[in-house]
Amino acid sequence: MIRSGVLFLAILWFSAVAIAQSAADSICNYYQIENIPVPKGLLPEVGGMDFMPDGRLVACFHRGEIMIYNPVTRQWKLFAEGLHDPLGLVAVSNSEVLVMQRPEFTRVKDTDENGIADLYEVVTDRFGLSGNYHEFNFGPVADQKGDYFISLNLASGLGGTFAEVRGRPDSLGRPGRMYSYVPYRGWIMKVDKQGNLTPWAMGFRSPNGLGFDTRGNLFVSDNQGDWLGTSKLYHVQKDKFYGHPSSLVWKEGFPDIDPLTLPVAELDKMRTEAAVLFPQGIMANSPTQPLSDTTNGKFGPFAGQMLIGEMNQHRIVRLMLETVDGQIQGACVPFFDKCGLRMGNNRMVFGPGGSLWIGQNNHEAWTGDEGLQRITWTGKVPMEVQEMHITKKGFDLTFTHPVDKKLAVRPEAYPFKRYYYEYHQAYGSRQFDLQPVPVKKVKVSRDRKRVSVELAEMKPGYVYELNVTGVQSREGKPVLNTLICYTVNKLRKS
Amino acid sequence: MRISFLFVLLGWLHGSACVEAAVTPTLPASDTTITIRAVMGLQYDVVRFAVKPNTRVRIVLQNADDMAHNLVLTKPGKRPEVVNAALALDSKGPALNYIPKTASVLGAIQVLSPGAQGELIWTAPATEGVFPYVCTYPGHGFVMFGALYVTAKPLPPLKGDPNVPEQALQNQEAAQTAHHVDYTDRRPSPHPYPVELPVIYRTFMPESGPAAIVVVLPNEQSYCWDAGVCRLRYAWQGYVDNSEQWHGNGKRLSKVAGDVYYRTGSEFPIRLGDPGKAPKEVLYKGYQVVDRYPHFRYTVDGTEVTEIIRAAGSGNGLVREFRMGPVSDDVFFTLEPHEEIEYTASAGRIEGNLLRLTPRQARQFTITIKSQKTAKL
Repeated sequence: MIRSGVLFLAILWFSAVAIAQSAADSICNYYQIENIPVPKGLLPEVGGMDFMPDGRLVACFHRGEIMIYNPVTRQWKLFAEGLHDPLGLVAVSNSEVLVMQRPEFTRVKDTDENGIADLYEVVTDRFGLSGNYHEFNFGPVADQKGDYFISLNLASGLGGTFAEVRGRPDSLGRPGRMYSYVPYRGWIMKVDKQGNLTPWAMGFRSPNGLGFDTRGNLFVSDNQGDWLGTSKLYHVQKDKFYGHPSSLVWKEGFPDIDPLTLPVAELDKMRTEAAVLFPQGIMANSPTQPLSDTTNGKFGPFAGQMLIGEMNQHRIVRLMLETVDGQIQGACVPFFDKCGLRMGNNRMVFGPGGSLWIGQNNHEAWTGDEGLQRITWTGKVPMEVQEMHITKKGFDLTFTHPVDKKLAVRPEAYPFKRYYYEYHQAYGSRQFDLQPVPVKKVKVSRDRKRVSVELAEMKPGYVYELNVTGVQSREGKPVLNTLICYTVNKLRKS
Repeated sequence: MRISFLFVLLGWLHGSACVEAAVTPTLPASDTTITIRAVMGLQYDVVRFAVKPNTRVRIVLQNADDMAHNLVLTKPGKRPEVVNAALALDSKGPALNYIPKTASVLGAIQVLSPGAQGELIWTAPATEGVFPYVCTYPGHGFVMFGALYVTAKPLPPLKGDPNVPEQALQNQEAAQTAHHVDYTDRRPSPHPYPVELPVIYRTFMPESGPAAIVVVLPNEQSYCWDAGVCRLRYAWQGYVDNSEQWHGNGKRLSKVAGDVYYRTGSEFPIRLGDPGKAPKEVLYKGYQVVDRYPHFRYTVDGTEVTEIIRAAGSGNGLVREFRMGPVSDDVFFTLEPHEEIEYTASAGRIEGNLLRLTPRQARQFTITIKSQKTAKL
């Protein structure tokens, strides 16, 4: 307690110094970040986190522990142990969690009410395990009906498979950099309350982050690599294919062929585009879990939007989504950069009172950090782009504060460029057809909160990247996070 | 760690002191009550106690275990005879609570289901003697017993007392040392708490499918149980080293730190009805942890099976306890021939490499696997 108090003071002092030294505004002036102390001897690589109904945080860790943290007493307590790399959990009650570990989706329950789990019951283990180290399992997340979704990572060509595997293997799924040798690797599965498994959607590579928007749409992040030019966020819909071919071997009615032998153009036609692209090295290299801000304003001005963690930078990203021509698409913008935030931002959950808890993970040796942090809104609203909408000829930007009109009407305040990433088997992609997009017209609304930007050209299939450094609030506060990337799949027709 | 060890030791001594205090002059000699608990690991928590001659003793048995137990008081030296007589009851056993009708039985508490309590009242004779009490439930009698001393003298040292189960004493010692000291004193705990044995790890193991479960038992024997196929794969003297598995994110396997002394074959061992017919479907259901021991649950063609694995005494060996749901035909269990392994079963007949159990016997039985090879020290 004393230690974190000192730390907190230190952070305040540092931010005070930062302000004194530079006019640049910082997210630290609007949100406070705090390190949560973890028990000695714990390797705090957070695989999953949730809050129990009584307000205690329950988290699972790399070496198989599930521990409970009471934010009031600031004490940790062991709940369960011995799990195999658990990478997600949901609290069902004050004595029960559902956890996704390598071998199965497990109900972990304290049935004799002594505070320690004694039941480790299979919810489902009817998916394949080849023994390949990269077959991580993620989720669960619960939909509004109480069904669960889990996601199954592909295997990696950097590792082999066991002589004995679980599930009937298919050698047609075995070739490739990342592969699907046993059933449903590269799939998202639905699990109903009875534990029945339904193959839900396919074509994923490393679907680490599952989450719902406030309307109940399921999303998953996927990581740059083979068949992924850059990291993405998909709107997950039943039976759709999202691009990584190996998992197609488990699709009902799919011919007995190695999916990698299909022409890329054919695969391209089959796939559903991502709702959001995270330009590699610009926005995020390894986006993790999307989380809707359900705090009704307790966490600041972005209620209803989704946040998404980033592994490789000291960053949390914010999403501004909309439905265009029946399809969800939108923009990503940094929400929280540095200011004491660690890397490895793997799991997030809102706690009682509306603060954001972040669990970090570096998977032992991978890029990132480990630990647990909490971000609380101070009540002050930063100058930010609150919403971004595509229009027939450009974009509408809504700001959190009225803009300085003189600055905001200038076309040069909106340097747009556009590019696309190639869909191909190779690992990642460079930016193709990178072009600046001239601004034709700018209009500021009467309340000075909305700016309509008309562009010379709107082209589907491109990321439109904007760096809105030239806009300030009427009080002279520049926009805090100026980099915005909007994924244009569909154009607004009217 | 050290504190909990001391606490257990003191608690245990305190327990025996209480028992002996029952014969102090302040208590009426004609009315002494002793409470014995049947606890996990086929043992009574009180392995001996003393009363003065002519004392009227009330023995209360509380079944704190998760399996059924009874208590039979026998004439001096008649324990093995009574245990064998109980086994000879065969199918008549359950109706008689496995209590044989012989003159060697002085009194008995019938079979108690888990959580139940029973009692018997017996008046000690005028002459001194050592009166054994034993659980005659099939498979229990050879290890689960204790001794009622009728004497006014101090008892002989506990260690070396031939009237108490050597195994129970060893287990107790092993539990007190291994459980509370050894594991973490020799190796730093990889967790934010001291490791207590048994400890369960799900991890990637060699010579197993990918859904392996490793259990390190209190005497630091370990076994690998494969949840993918619901069967024991192998056992070793030693522990499991997960450090490379954890550090490599699953890329390198956990290590068997010790010598494997037992390996099972490639087939699922249980056959329902026909020994030649492998079950169609074996489904893993999970495990319940009781006193840190996993009780594995699975179904074999729809029949529920619970399996609990404990150390068989102090050497290399395991006691596998099985509890099965109702079956209509005989159950067969394959005992793979193994040079240095001796199998014994609490019930059924061993026919070649098969243990044959009647539907009734199959409801609960144990198979003891003992390595003839002496443990490496």
